[in-house]
Amino acid sequence: MTTQSEQSAVAAPFPGAGQPQKVTVKDLKFFYGDNLALKTINLPLYTNKVTAFIGPSGCGKSTLLRVLNRMYDLYPKQRAEGEVLLDGENILDPDMDLNLLRARIGMVFQKPTPFPMSIYDNIAFGIKLYEKLSKSEMDGRVEAALKGAALWGEVKDKLNASGLSLSGGQQQRLCIARSVAIQPEVILFDEPCSALDPISTAKIEELIDELKEKYTIAIVTHSMQQAARVSDYTAFMYLGSLIEYDVTNKIFTSPANRQTQDYITGRFG
Amino acid sequence: MTDHTVAAFSKELETLGKRIAEMGGLAEKMLSEAMDALANLNADQAREVIAADPRLDALQRDTEEHAVLTIARRQPMAVDLREIVAAIRVSGDLERVGDLAKNIAKRTLIIAKEQRPQMPRAIIGLKHMNEIAAMMLKDVLDAYGQHDVALARSVWQRDGQLDALEDSVFRDLLTFMMEDARNITLCTHLLFCSKNIERIGDHATNIAETVVYLVSGESLPLDRPKGGSSLTSETEPKA
Repeated sequence: MTTQSEQSAVAAPFPGAGQPQKVTVKDLKFFYGDNLALKTINLPLYTNKVTAFIGPSGCGKSTLLRVLNRMYDLYPKQRAEGEVLLDGENILDPDMDLNLLRARIGMVFQKPTPFPMSIYDNIAFGIKLYEKLSKSEMDGRVEAALKGAALWGEVKDKLNASGLSLSGGQQQRLCIARSVAIQPEVILFDEPCSALDPISTAKIEELIDELKEKYTIAIVTHSMQQAARVSDYTAFMYLGSLIEYDVTNKIFTSPANRQTQDYITGRFG
Repeated sequence: MTDHTVAAFSKELETLGKRIAEMGGLAEKMLSEAMDALANLNADQAREVIAADPRLDALQRDTEEHAVLTIARRQPMAVDLREIVAAIRVSGDLERVGDLAKNIAKRTLIIAKEQRPQMPRAIIGLKHMNEIAAMMLKDVLDAYGQHDVALARSVWQRDGQLDALEDSVFRDLLTFMMEDARNITLCTHLLFCSKNIERIGDHATNIAETVVYLVSGESLPLDRPKGGSSLTSETEPKA
């Protein structure tokens, strides 16, 4: 049973309905122990579109992202109810193969997390978990991944250097390359630019724009301007509820909801 | 509306609003005095109108600079963004209203230099046009200040009346010119004055559209309600 306050303010049909949905979140609730952190969330992630999640700290946006590839499974006492459909298949199903799921849904975190190994091995490591490739095939995949993450030109002559020797922005692109290398279908970005300088940020944003040709993307960001720049759809969350979901241009020029407006114009609280 | 967390941002938007209010007051005053000066052929009053215009120009430039700086500094979103875009647009419209009023004043100076001319009947129509335009301007500035969409829409609807009146003034003046060719110079000036007033109505209508956008984020239809037009075939020169 759900009380009124647990119900999401946003209901189907969603703006953009009719497009193919890569991911469909249905009546999703999430608990940290007894604490209800997501209150009946419903929303689509459209195929080859960028969906941005915005909202103040603690609103549940990162939690939602962590549900999308079952990152929460790593922690005890955390559980999800409802459904998250990936191409129609419920990924919350206990029988879901998590390794396979995380190969299909990649994630890039707030702080770059390169492995303490060479640039080449940072990429190859993930691929080896899922596939057996010859040396030349592997070389090709590593190159393609680094090119896909717009990093190839900067590292092609030092593939054996440590991933940790790169700058922060390069490290973040290395992590993106690592995600791209295993050819996922969805990439989740959790505040990917919050530790980066403006130039590196611009490169990542440019990259996101290119990546959506191939992948479906969800991004959590604290920068409203970034959400406005990179996304096609924007979801505003507050206190565990989805308050407003709409086409990004609409959200940032004339949002329908008062709370959304107060938040994006800096009038909150 | 709740204030911004950054108080200086709210203050910047307030300043923009105040500038527009000052511009609106000035433009209204220029229009009403320009019409008075024309009706009474009062050269001194006409000169005052002309002298007031640089202030309006300076205010417009100032508003625009302030708006651009605020965009650069705050990266405004949603209603704030619309507020700033509206201020830029409205200040542009008001500056043009001032120019048109100034143009009436300049023509008044030329007309007044001639020997006391006999004013044609069309001056009554012109005054009437001016009353409507002045009321549109007043109402639309109120609508802007109070974010009143209904009032803005009513101004938008009224523009047709002004067009119809312009048409009748046009015909009156044409008749007067045909009666006596010596009237042509005077009537041509008055014809421009009537066009100016009609243009002022257009600017008020623009502002009305801006107010609707500012408040609702939506645009009014592209087609405005039309009244008569002096460009209809009836009055067009025969080939």
